[in-house]
Parts: sequence; C-alpha cells; structure tokens
Amino acid sequence: MEIDEVNCMKKKNGGKYAAISVLSVALFIFVWWLVSSGLGLTTESTLPGPDVVLKTFIKKLSDPAPDGGTMFQHIGSSLRVAMSGYLMGVVIGTPLGILMAWYKKVDLFARPLFDLLRPVPGIAWIPLMIIMFGIGMTSKVVTVFLAAFVPCVLNSYTGIRQTKDVHLWVGQTFGASNWQMLTRIAVPTSLPLVMTGVRVALGASWTTIVAAELLASTKGLGFMIQQARGIYRPDVIIAGMIAIGAIGALLTWVLTIIEHKVVKGVKA
Amino acid sequence: MKNEVIVCKDVSKRFETERGVVDVIDKVDLTVEENELVVLFGPGQCGKTTLINVMAGLETATGGEVTVSGKKVEKPGPDRGVVYQTTALFPWLTVMGNVEYGPKSRGISKKERRERAQYYIDLVGLQGFENSFPSKLSGGMKQRVGIARAYCNEPVVMFMDEPFGHLDAQTRYLMQEELMRIWEKEKRTIVFVTNNIEEALYLADRIVVMTNCPTTVKTEYKIDLPRPRDYVAPEFLHLREEISAVVDKTL
Amino acid sequence: MGRFNDASKAQKSICAALAIAAFILLWFFATNGTNLGVVLAGPVEVFRKFFVSFVQPLGTHTIPGHILWSLSRVMVGFLAGSALGIVLGVTMGWYRIIDAIFRPIYEMIRPIPPIAWIPLAILWFGLGEVTKYFLIFLAAFGNVTMNAYAGVKSVDPVLIGAAKMLGASDRRVFTSIVLPACVPHIFAGLQIALGSAWATVVAAEMVRSSEGVGWVIITGQDTNNSVQILVGIIAVGAIGYLLAILMRGIEAKLCAWSERGK
Repeated sequence: MEIDEVNCMKKKNGGKYAAISVLSVALFIFVWWLVSSGLGLTTESTLPGPDVVLKTFIKKLSDPAPDGGTMFQHIGSSLRVAMSGYLMGVVIGTPLGILMAWYKKVDLFARPLFDLLRPVPGIAWIPLMIIMFGIGMTSKVVTVFLAAFVPCVLNSYTGIRQTKDVHLWVGQTFGASNWQMLTRIAVPTSLPLVMTGVRVALGASWTTIVAAELLASTKGLGFMIQQARGIYRPDVIIAGMIAIGAIGALLTWVLTIIEHKVVKGVKA
Repeated sequence: MKNEVIVCKDVSKRFETERGVVDVIDKVDLTVEENELVVLFGPGQCGKTTLINVMAGLETATGGEVTVSGKKVEKPGPDRGVVYQTTALFPWLTVMGNVEYGPKSRGISKKERRERAQYYIDLVGLQGFENSFPSKLSGGMKQRVGIARAYCNEPVVMFMDEPFGHLDAQTRYLMQEELMRIWEKEKRTIVFVTNNIEEALYLADRIVVMTNCPTTVKTEYKIDLPRPRDYVAPEFLHLREEISAVVDKTL
Repeated sequence: MGRFNDASKAQKSICAALAIAAFILLWFFATNGTNLGVVLAGPVEVFRKFFVSFVQPLGTHTIPGHILWSLSRVMVGFLAGSALGIVLGVTMGWYRIIDAIFRPIYEMIRPIPPIAWIPLAILWFGLGEVTKYFLIFLAAFGNVTMNAYAGVKSVDPVLIGAAKMLGASDRRVFTSIVLPACVPHIFAGLQIALGSAWATVVAAEMVRSSEGVGWVIITGQDTNNSVQILVGIIAVGAIGYLLAILMRGIEAKLCAWSERGK
C-alpha cells in the first residue's frame, strides 16, 4: 500500500472507496433485516428487524406508550438535566483548572483533593446523590456536574501548563503583571486544550445522564430503554439507543464546529 | 573516461495543488560520475529536496527520466542511500538496530550484518554507542548514525539532503571534516544538497548551482582544490565570492 | 528556570496530607450530629466499615472479594476488546479497503455509549457474566480502535520512505515501522479504554449484579446505607487510581524511546 500517492491520484480513487462504504452499510442493514424480519431467525422480542425499529422510532416520537412519555419528552428531559450539570461543570471546572495550574499555592492544596475525586466514575456517585437529594432532578444534575467537572479541570490545567516559558518571558520584558500574563498569554495558549476538555465533558455528561436514568428516573432516554427491557420491547430499546447515539453525535458535532472557530490560528 | 553513474535527462516535476499547477523542477540535465562528490547548491527550500527525492526514487518525475547504473529509477531502493536532514532514525531501535536495518531487511545473516554494521558504526566514530537510543544522542551523533545506516547497505550512490542543516555551526564544521574522512576511507558517489557556500566549497568535486523554484541548473563549477581544503585560502575565498555572486538572491 | 517548576516532593506530600486532613475534618464536623449527618455518614463510620469489610463480608464477599469479581470481569472484556480494537484499527489505518468497508459501520455504532447497551445486553445475554463481558468489550473496543487508527495514520511518511530506501518490502515496512511507531498511540487508547472499562463494569454491576463493587454501592442505596455506598465509592476510586498508575508505569517502560514517557 503506497503511502506516497500523489494528491490527484487519491482523488481519482476516492469515488471507488466511497462506493464500497455505501455498499458496506447497505449490506449490514440488509443482513440485519434478513436475519430478523426476512428469515425470522430471531423473534420480535430478541432482535426486531430494521423496519420494525424504524416504525417504532417514528411512532414513539409522539406516542407515550409504553412507558408514559413520548420520545420527544424523554429527549427533552435528558437534555435539560444533562445541560444543567454540564454547564455548571464547565463554568466551575475550567477556571478551577486554570487557577490550579497558575497559582502554585492553589495547586499544592487543591490537586491532592482533585486526584482523590478523579478516579471515581460519574455513575458511582448516583446512589449517594439519591440518598442525599432524592430521586428528583437535583441528584442527577449534581452527578452530571461531577462527570463534566473532571475533564474540564484536567484539560484546562494541562493547557495552562504547556504555555511556553519563552512567551511568558516576552510578557515579562513588556512589564506585564502576573494577572496579565495569565489572561493575555497563558489562557489564550490553553484554548485548544480547554476546548478539548469542554468537548470531552460533553460526552461524559451525556453518557452519565443516560446511566443515571437507567438507575433511578421516571423519564428520560435512559429510563425509556430500561423500561422497555422489562416488557421485552427491544424495538423500543434500539430506537432509544439510536436516539441516544444520534443526539450525542449531534452535540459533539456542534461543539467541534465551535472548537474550530475558537481555535483558529492557535497552535496546539 | 570515468563512467556515469547517475544520469538525469530532462527531469521535470509538477505538483497539482488546490492553488493550481506548481512546477517544482524544470528540465534538469545532470550527470554524476563514479565516486564523484557533487554538490547541488542553491537558495531556498523548494526544488532541491524534490530533485533528490526524484533521483532516489522517493518521488516520481512527471517529465524526463533518471537512471542510476543504467537502470531507470522508479522506486526507492538499497542501491540509492539517503541521508535526511531530519535524520529520520527509527526511534524505537538502538543505534545498532538502525544501522543494521537495511541488511536485515535484505535477509543477510545476523553474524554478517552485525559485523558490517559494527564496521560502519566504528567508521563514523560511534563505537560504544551501539545500544543507545536516538533520543539520547546529540544532533551530530544522530546524523552520524544516519550516515552509517545509509552506508551499511553498501549503496551505489548516496544522496544527502542538507544533512547538517539542523546542527549548530561548530558541530557543522566538525561533521564536514568527518564526512570527508569517511568518504576518503569509503569512496562512494555522493550527491549533496546545501545552501551554505562554505560547505559546498569544502566538500565538492563539482558544484552545480541551482535556481530557486522551479529549480533548474544555472551553472556548474569544477572545484580542483586539494583536500583537505582550507576555508580561508585565497583560491577558496575567490571561488566563494564568484559563486555567491552567481546564485539567485532570495530572502 | 521554568514558571511551572514543581515544588519539592516533600512539600507536595505535606500539603497533600494537610489538604486531605482538612477535608476529612470538614466532613466530620459537617456530619457529626447535624441534619446532614442523618443522611450522610461521617468519616469515622465509613473508614471503620471499610477496613472491617476486609474480613467481614458485605453480602456474599468481603471487599477484596468484590474487587476481584469486578476486576476479573474487566480483564476479560478489556483484553478481548483491546485485541480486536488494535487489529481493526491498525488494518483500517493501513489498508484503505478495510477502512472503506468497516469504518462507516463503526462510526454509526460508536456514538452509542456502552452504558446505553446495558438493557439490550441484559435482554440478550441475561443477568450473568456474559452480559458484563460484552459491555466491557464494547467500552474497550470503542476506545482502542480509534487510537490505533490514528496511530497508523500519524506515522511519519519520511520514516516509511527511509525504510523503503533501505530495502524493506511493504510487508516489512508494516511490521517493523508502522506497528512500533503507533505503539504510543495505541497505549494512550488502552489507558482510556481501561478507565472506561472500569466505569462500565461499575455501571453494569449497579444495574444488575449479585456481587462486585457496583453491587456494593447500589445495595447501599437500596437500604439507605450511606456508609456502604461510601465504602463502595472508596473501593472504586482506589482501584481506578491503581489501574491508572499501573498503566503509566508500563507506558514508561514501553514507550521510553518516545517523548511520551513523561
């Protein structure tokens, strides 16, 4: 396989590979259909065909059966809780990471505590939050906050730390104060990593809300798929999984666009 | 009559980019004789490296052809060794691992290739460093490994693309002397690229002055001075002035 | 003299000890006889229970027993998922045709977090071990594949050219240049995958299990027993931390030749 292909040659073959990709996806869906609805090798309560899933998906958008809420309502509920915790995590975590990286005193005392918090996965906090705050929104928001908080701190910390000494010395020769060096040199340099942290936190938030809803909730996408399992409706489960994946991808995509706009010209 | 090892006839290279067609090499005719050290000398970064890559087979010409030892050049191969400006050493292999890579790839027995590699490691002055990793070596030492690695494959010709460009001035002078010493011991046909006139005059049997992008042969100078050359001898300085005046000026 | 030069190890340890002590004190006073203390247990009870559980079982196993259960599940899923992820990621990166065939399907499935698979996995595989292996496999596979792929794609083409110049065949270039060059990337992926696998096993155990650290936590919730919950959380955090240290130690050995061994 030649690595050093000329650019124009790559373009010529691009069409061939794109066609293969399309074929591959089509084949995948076809085999899925064949195994389930086509040949009936699996039952509706283990693996429904893609046609069934699609029908259920569309129906569920407006049908509150069988769990008490339409898909839109569940999506709205999950998003609302996820975004609350997420924004809190970003707003508190990012500046904290910056301060920890810049002020040695803060680092010496805050970092050990943060290192204790860090290895605990977000979902492990859910039961504690439920005992303290009940089954409502608060417990979930706090859990999502913790999940988003960690990557924001980590990435903004690393981002500040990789500010080049040379740049700071330039600032010093211009008579910049400590605060100015932080805000004018270190923070702009850290922007790419800060954005990475913001993006990772988003993924973590979305995953955590689904997990929280699996465990203890009365609405939301996680709740929806957990309920569907209890009544042997894998079509609803798969529809829910697709919704979860699609929204997660959409959120990430939006953030990646913002990331590119913000980071333009800043060398990573 | 010495035989011609490298023959470039009418070589051109053009790239298609988003900004349109870019001609990098424009009809270059060049011959290099056996055991000759030819320096391609010229300003700027573009063109000369591509020409070396075409001659080594790392890229293909869009016009004209290159033959080495009578065979047309189409792919890279062990008969054409390359020493890179960035050294391009394999960082997970030791010095010995890097130097013996060529013979190992060609299936030469462990005993034989170890002996051969050791010979070249000693030749470039790195005995004792066989088990060191490149990340632990200085720039000059890394480049010595690069030279030993290319030599170990016993190529017919060696291409050196500004190998000393990343070194500090002091090390650079040292490496030029080293290269001369190595070359006197193991004579090889060498095509050497540089934009440093001192280096060119110190090393070359013949200097081929190239233009900037698109690169082509501007003029040639046969350098008959005895070796080792003296940077401050009057003939050296005179040639230096003359050639500097001829070269394209670019910032 | 860098701006970010670290304090001495001694200084760091002392401040860490002070900070943690202050935190524990705060925790103690916040829960000692207060309203919060009704819901949230204080440090004394939690640490006592934690150490007691090393000998006295919580449910069916002692704490080390639960930890070993969780770890064994992680190991199976992680090894299988990583192995397959490396193979797929590397071949996708090197052979365009494999990329064309498998990547679209992978990209469709990837956005679905492993946790979202839990209900379906339980439906298909029941409440036993296979479900957990499957979920952890997904978590590991998802992370490792992309990193392996990126590793192959980021191999310096100059190195590949140098290998060819030295006479290596395409196959030898792949085995002797591409594979070693992407080890740091793959290792980074393995570290993330291990963290993700650990989180996934905890989640899976919390949803449906009869032992394991996740079980410890969730049964604590069922009985409103914050002591047990916190014991579980400490166990989860401690093992997560040890796993991270382990991986970093291996990385230092394996990738000593690259600048990543920091």
